[in-house]
Amino acid sequence: MAHITINQYLQQVYDAIDNHDGSFCAELLSFKHPHVANPRLQLASPEEKCQQLLEPPYDEMVAAHLRCTYAVSNHDFVEAYKFQTALPVMFSVTLDLRIFANSAEQQLQKKGKGQPGEMLEKAAEQLMSCFRVCASDNRAGIEDSKKWGMMFLSNQLFKIYFKINKLHLCKPLIRAIDSSNLKNDYSPAQKVTYKYYVGRKAMFDSDFKPAEEFLSYAFHHCHGSSQKNKRMILIYLLPVKMLLGHMPTHQLLRKYDLMQFADVTKSVSEGNLLLLNEALSKHETFFIRCGIFLILEKLKIITYRNLFKKVYLLLRTHQLPLDAFLVSLKMMQLDDVDIDEVQCILANLIYMGHIKGYISHQHQKLVVSKQNPFPPLSSVS
Amino acid sequence: MCQFMTYKVKEQAIKKNSLSQRRDAPAGGEWRQRKEERWRGQGKAQAREVEEDESCEQHGKEAVPRGTCQTMCPARELQDREVQNRLHRFEMLAGTERVRRPRGDPLRAVKEYTRPAAGKDSTNPTDLRPPAVLLKTVCYLIDDIAASPHLHPWTEVYSFVFDRLRGVKQDMIIQRVSGLNCMAILERTVRFLIYASYRLCGEPLWLYDPRINDTHLQESLSWLLDCYATETGPHPNQEEFQALGLLYNLGSARATQHIMELSGRLRTSPAITLALSINRAFLERNPVRMLRLARRLNFIQGCALHRHLVTCRRDLLLIYSHGYCSRNCRFPLDRLAQLLSLDTSLAAQLCQAYGVDVNQGNQLVFSKAAFTEPGKGKLHCKMYHNIVAEKQRELSVGNIIHGCV
Repeated sequence: MAHITINQYLQQVYDAIDNHDGSFCAELLSFKHPHVANPRLQLASPEEKCQQLLEPPYDEMVAAHLRCTYAVSNHDFVEAYKFQTALPVMFSVTLDLRIFANSAEQQLQKKGKGQPGEMLEKAAEQLMSCFRVCASDNRAGIEDSKKWGMMFLSNQLFKIYFKINKLHLCKPLIRAIDSSNLKNDYSPAQKVTYKYYVGRKAMFDSDFKPAEEFLSYAFHHCHGSSQKNKRMILIYLLPVKMLLGHMPTHQLLRKYDLMQFADVTKSVSEGNLLLLNEALSKHETFFIRCGIFLILEKLKIITYRNLFKKVYLLLRTHQLPLDAFLVSLKMMQLDDVDIDEVQCILANLIYMGHIKGYISHQHQKLVVSKQNPFPPLSSVS
Repeated sequence: MCQFMTYKVKEQAIKKNSLSQRRDAPAGGEWRQRKEERWRGQGKAQAREVEEDESCEQHGKEAVPRGTCQTMCPARELQDREVQNRLHRFEMLAGTERVRRPRGDPLRAVKEYTRPAAGKDSTNPTDLRPPAVLLKTVCYLIDDIAASPHLHPWTEVYSFVFDRLRGVKQDMIIQRVSGLNCMAILERTVRFLIYASYRLCGEPLWLYDPRINDTHLQESLSWLLDCYATETGPHPNQEEFQALGLLYNLGSARATQHIMELSGRLRTSPAITLALSINRAFLERNPVRMLRLARRLNFIQGCALHRHLVTCRRDLLLIYSHGYCSRNCRFPLDRLAQLLSLDTSLAAQLCQAYGVDVNQGNQLVFSKAAFTEPGKGKLHCKMYHNIVAEKQRELSVGNIIHGCV
């Protein structure tokens, strides 16, 4: 223990986590264990190393512990105390709890017993009590306040709520963090995770502008070496950006192995409904599994808008016959659309602000404004 | 310094949460300990797991109450209610309704729903009806009460059936019933509540509360869908109920996501495909398409959908108020009536309720400034029901609820 390298130590931690060996894991984070005397583990900035080998939030926990060993070796006990609080242990326990619940879930599902999500809900209840304890910790000074645990716990709870599809339970957590004076001082990793979930929640609530903000933050601040995490964030950021009119480049999609979005992007910007339907259908399983299929369907309205804009540009007039739109839809092989539906779609686009103009039923024409009849997408949502 | 928390402490923390609501698992601490051991030895003997499973099953079965009451109402309760004069008129022996203390008819009395209370033993086997009796009870409630042409008013029929179905559900929960009987009962319950939501729409609140109906409908539906997910098939009615669930919860992201996660075979079945298309049209705010597709629904599906028709029609008037908003624009009332699936006079009434002006020549003058939401109580959903009503035709209430159409 006193001579292993940092890599070997992290490997041991990883193995302990993988085998759900909570007690050994806790030992590896304890000051009673001989590893703390190992100078190779006493690092001032172990975060990157930890992030490379461990999943969040373990990476952060272990990093905090290692910084502590460094501080202690320098006899900087104030610094050491900051990191070696009961929090890491609580972290490890609550993590185990969530994993525990997940395993229980899987076991129950295999046997076909119990209600899906029950175990996770119970775990969430436990975590919620921990959260309340942390949130109401007004006694200790800011340095050792339990409030530091709030974001970590929220992130754990978010994971569960998303899994059991009870997103409305995220709201009180978000409110609590928002009103906390520590909200900008949490570690970068925690903030990234937090913004990721808050962004996804906003997406779910159709608040696309805030969703874009949160998910963009998460994407840009996510550590460059975590390709997997960046990809996960991108999966949710892309649809939001597309709804706001910003299409991703092929380069970006290729870099993060997200070519499933390529056809979707192309069809939306071209106004090609046929290709869009095909693209959604082709990668249906992937999109459904990620929970973005429904958001992507919203792109249909954007696609209609882009298609109709093409019709407008082609005809170069401000009084467009409704028939022209009907023809364009029939070209997209939408055979069961009739003139009534065309009017309905146009009326909806006008209502949503995507088209500036009005329909004249008597003349069977769409009359558009001479100025900017198809306002840019980012200005509309 | 650090305090270690061992698995034991965690276990105690979890133990605190009661397992009594879990339907199938036994509630002993012993069971949990065994499970614990299984996790520790992850990947080891599958055989041991199976063995433990079976002894768990046995242990579990002994702890779960098993009813023995062979009548729709336990003898003790019938006697009590008779003595206390608390029989419902549907349960009285013919000819004794008007006497001071009517007699109960054991062939017509049905166990009431009673709120669970501390200290009250609801697990006495003589008071519990086994699953086969529960199913027979439900069939009686449908055939002899809900579908009876002689019992009036239907609001009273509904109250009685609603309460007694709740009693059936309660017996099912206490005995942790699952399997075919459970699903057959839940399917009928859901159809009954959906039908009621349509038939009693517009009744005064003290006779029928749509929110209470909704709560129980969602609970029963949710339980039924869980059964489909966890019990081994085949489930011949699953397509029907997944579709009904989506239609009833039209526009709900959760309901939609649930459908998207079903197997491909189910998702492409006719009823679910149609429900999904209607859902899509609703979400895209295309009421023309939505109403057009709705014409293809059968009666019970129409009942499930009917409460969303208000929103659908409102959406149409709203977007048209914006889309046709120009001083000289005129839109023919007839055309709109067709789109709304209403006759002309009803369409005119609806327009007026939303502030849409109808001029002398039966032309509509749309204006986004003029559109207003109708005042509370101004809009009577029931008036605009014909799109669903006309699907009923010769269908009997009994057939609708049993699902043999």
